[in-house]
Amino acid sequence: MKLLVKYNRVTIIASIIILVFTGVIYYAVIHFILTDRLDKDLVLEEEEIVAYVKTFGKLPLAGNFKDQKVVYRLMKPGDSLERGFFNTAYLNESENKHEPGRTFVTSLNVNGVPYGITITKSRVQAEDLVRMILMITLGVTVMLLITLMLINRFLLGKLWRPFYTVLKQMKDFNLADKDEVVAEDTNIDEFRELNLAVIAMSARVKQDYKELKNFTDNASHEMLTPLAVINSKLDTLIQTETFTNVQGEVIEDIYLAVSRLSRLNQSLLLLAKLENNMIAADQEPINLKELIEQKLRQFQELMQIQGVVLSQKLEDKELSMNRYLADILINNLFSNAIRHNYDGGEIAVHLNNQELSVSNTGNPEKLSDQAFERFYKNAASEGMGLGLAISYQICAQYGFKLAYDFKDGKHIFLMIF
Amino acid sequence: MKILLIEDEQPLRESIIAYFTGEGNICETAVDFKSAIDKIAVYNYDCILLDLTLPGGDGLEILRRLKKMNKNDGVLIISARHSLEDKLDGLNLGADDYLIKPFHLSELKARVMAIVRRKSYSGSNVIVFNEISIDTLAMKVEVAAHAVALTKKEYDLLVYFIANRGKVISKNALAEHLWGDEIDLVDHFDFIYTHIKNLRKKLMEAGCPDYVKSMYGVGYKFESQ
Repeated sequence: MKLLVKYNRVTIIASIIILVFTGVIYYAVIHFILTDRLDKDLVLEEEEIVAYVKTFGKLPLAGNFKDQKVVYRLMKPGDSLERGFFNTAYLNESENKHEPGRTFVTSLNVNGVPYGITITKSRVQAEDLVRMILMITLGVTVMLLITLMLINRFLLGKLWRPFYTVLKQMKDFNLADKDEVVAEDTNIDEFRELNLAVIAMSARVKQDYKELKNFTDNASHEMLTPLAVINSKLDTLIQTETFTNVQGEVIEDIYLAVSRLSRLNQSLLLLAKLENNMIAADQEPINLKELIEQKLRQFQELMQIQGVVLSQKLEDKELSMNRYLADILINNLFSNAIRHNYDGGEIAVHLNNQELSVSNTGNPEKLSDQAFERFYKNAASEGMGLGLAISYQICAQYGFKLAYDFKDGKHIFLMIF
Repeated sequence: MKILLIEDEQPLRESIIAYFTGEGNICETAVDFKSAIDKIAVYNYDCILLDLTLPGGDGLEILRRLKKMNKNDGVLIISARHSLEDKLDGLNLGADDYLIKPFHLSELKARVMAIVRRKSYSGSNVIVFNEISIDTLAMKVEVAAHAVALTKKEYDLLVYFIANRGKVISKNALAEHLWGDEIDLVDHFDFIYTHIKNLRKKLMEAGCPDYVKSMYGVGYKFESQ
């Protein structure tokens, strides 16, 4: 649940409860006050009647005026009358309709004759007042709630925007990207602190990462010169003397190890450059079909040696890429397909407008999910385990997808444009 | 052939000099930026082997100065810098070739020979070795004035062999020369043998003596008996 929604829900439920509760109390209190006031008026009327009787020795005229009705009733002996207030109906004769009324019943002795007196007043004005007050209260309540909701929605949404901005950037954060985290200006301390912390953290992480990359880059570079020395010394060594075949084998092994080491180095350098986005700059249109055909010609001999049967179905497709990278990518895909094949196996290359697929027979087991990770290789592999990682990076650089699948005993590498 | 080697790494310098000296080649050296500038200002060379990272300055600057002096010396950059920009910069500045460290001496020699051949005033596009003559423009090979049909790989092999005549060339160097990066695939070089065998057979059928010798399993040597 979003913070905004949660906050909205809590505040609105709390407001409704408080407003309903206060509304009820408000209503009851006002009702009580108005009834009390009505009762006082009724008692005042009684006092006037009592004063009149005392002065004139008779009851004033029963009558009906000003929303007030007075009725006298002769009491039979034994009748008892309880003095008190009741809610009753009041017949408004001028408008001929029943209105809510308040009745006061009392008894009075006029010259020794007991009379029951009923004074009734219309409550309609008081009720109207209460209703009016209630309506206003309700109106205010509803308005308040709507305002609250709007404030929450817009103001809080706005207030929290810096948070969401920085959150989105954290989600999109990619070490290899050049973009820095850009925080939105805010005058809210918490968010400002959050922004500063995120910016500082990303900068630190990037710096560390860069140092690591530079380390790879420098280490690989520094290794090249000694490698060059070893290589040239070997070349010089084999000129000097007559070796036995055994010595020759040893030298050949050293040659192989050196060349392997230099290839490893070059791959690491390339990976570091790819991840630092240092190559992609110059793109040119590449006719993929032509490139593949050319590469297949180059690999033809190797396929023949292994007795690998090639089937191809190529359609025209143009990509905008760096030629050097395109070359490496296709090279890697094909050399994998040949290297991890068995003698007399098959390789199928299909190219259409959407994808390039290279499938080959080979190890009857599916590669693990880490196939695209660096230095991944299965036990039987003689490679360095960097080819696929490099291919993956190259694809990522141009927004292509490189996927792996294992179907019917065939390893399929799918490059989706 | 007069060569200037500008390289600060002493062991590498020694190996290159040892490999190039002989056959009437003169190989001079410069170990830093300043001595290199001094030498190119005074002398002319058939080919300058230029390392890019030098004490005292950038190798590319030497190339710039050389071009400013309107000199026509061939330039082969040898560098550990593997970046494409460096390579393009170097070639745009007028370098003739770019070789990345580590390299085989035989590869270096073959490239230098190619540069010198292209640059030579005699305009000679013909390599001659005893009765073999190769027209490098037409990529045609003749033995004693009779054309010999070679495949692309056999032709490359022959040119490479003759450039490195009298030297033992490792199988490794041959493989990298012929197949470039793809050689990564097969770490056994049996298939080079097929090409060498075919070349040898074709040359001998055309009347050459057997110039190609297998050397203690590590490589081959191309030389007159």
